[in-house]
Amino acid sequence: MRLEAVGRRYGARGPWVLRGVDLDVPGGQVLRVEGANGSGKSTVLRILAGIDRPTTGRVSGRPRTAYVPERFPPALPFDAHGYLVHLGRVHGLGGRTAARRAERWLECFGIAGYARTPLAQLSKGTCQKVAVAQALVAEPELLVLDEAWTGLDEDARAVLDDAVRARSAAGGTVVFVDHDPRRLAADTTAAHRVQDARLVPVPPDAAGGPRVVIEATGGGVPPAGLAYEPAAPGTLQVTVPAAESDAVLRRLLAAAPPWHIRSVRPAQPPTEPA
Amino acid sequence: MTATLHYRTALLLRSFRWLPPLLLHLAVMAIGLAAGPRPLLDSLGWSAAALLPAAAWLVRVSVTAEPPAARACVAAATGPGRAHTAGVLAALLCSVVLGAVSTAVVVAVADPHTTDHLKAVPVVPAAAAGLLAALVTALLGTAVGALTNPPVLLRPGWAVPVTALTAVLVLVAAGSPANAAVTGLVTGSRTGVVPFPPAPLLLAAFAACGATWLAATLSGRRG
Repeated sequence: MRLEAVGRRYGARGPWVLRGVDLDVPGGQVLRVEGANGSGKSTVLRILAGIDRPTTGRVSGRPRTAYVPERFPPALPFDAHGYLVHLGRVHGLGGRTAARRAERWLECFGIAGYARTPLAQLSKGTCQKVAVAQALVAEPELLVLDEAWTGLDEDARAVLDDAVRARSAAGGTVVFVDHDPRRLAADTTAAHRVQDARLVPVPPDAAGGPRVVIEATGGGVPPAGLAYEPAAPGTLQVTVPAAESDAVLRRLLAAAPPWHIRSVRPAQPPTEPA
Repeated sequence: MTATLHYRTALLLRSFRWLPPLLLHLAVMAIGLAAGPRPLLDSLGWSAAALLPAAAWLVRVSVTAEPPAARACVAAATGPGRAHTAGVLAALLCSVVLGAVSTAVVVAVADPHTTDHLKAVPVVPAAAAGLLAALVTALLGTAVGALTNPPVLLRPGWAVPVTALTAVLVLVAAGSPANAAVTGLVTGSRTGVVPFPPAPLLLAAFAACGATWLAATLSGRRG
């Protein structure tokens, strides 16, 4: 997926919220979007999710998308299960698949007991779980999370973190905004900051920190977006910041066919000039 | 699109927000039909005319039925244009059902004679002509509703009075397909000839498609 020279403003004479944004979002990426309050983070997410259309520029190659808002008001005349089945079908699933997945996610979030409760009677947190489940039911290729963790309890946050890793391992893309700077820190493959209506790449924290070398063998294609050095035939070697090693290992193991990890070892620090 | 339409229709029906437009339609029908059995074609004309403002209001009710967060979830899945189109279509479906029921009620209670009570009016062709006119006004009411509500007119302070005014204008303006359809029935009631003009239906369908397309194109861009 790709944004080219994307600009957005609200109203014909409103100020530009975004201007000249170019962004490539390859599959398998977990992308963090940062920025001050009101800087336009949500607008970036809404354009990525296809909810807002850019005023200028173009967006191409958007895959099947699901979106989770920060607050999900319960003003809908459905029960939790009924709403999830409706949304699953809107996402293109058959009725049975939608019902099965709806039940599974309600169970994962520990709210299967509220499946037949009208949304209007659910607590704020439970409603937010339904909003997250709505996106996960779709098993989307692009998952956009606008502070989706807000209002969730610890267990539900962990479920969502795991779901993000599963989406990314399956080759899907996840774009998220969250107040907590440690959110998915080990899984994030890139970060961008919205500043003065522009999107600026944030260098990974771990760039100067320790790095590890991962050596793997296998016959398949290396996961997209992985900067690897081919060693012997059928082997590859990747040097990554230590903080990202778990995410890279997970992607190698989850590839189809999976890669076999031969070794993980600390990289030699670059030699100081004499 | 079918799934989205299904969702929007369920949303509209379960929200009970269709009740005020339905009451408006019933009130106008009651005013027209309360004074005992009236000539059939005349009553069908009145019933079709009463449907137009109700259809426009139903579009407003349907396209504003979701909180913005829920709308965003659906828009991400289908694109904002399709999500909006499904909302307008759900309203149109309800209007068509309402028009069909009203037509059936009028056929059941009205007097199947001309206005001067001298000539009998054939009931089945008259019912078909009534349905045709109801379809014309449902389509035009939908077009009016699509053009006078979000995402075209965002503020309720503008949208509501403009919807009401436009609905009345489309009914009374000479040359409007709704006016032609209703006038055809009223004239038919005097002459005893059941009218089946194809032009108003075509024009109304064209207007509804164009208005919905415009609103769908604007959704995701405005607001």
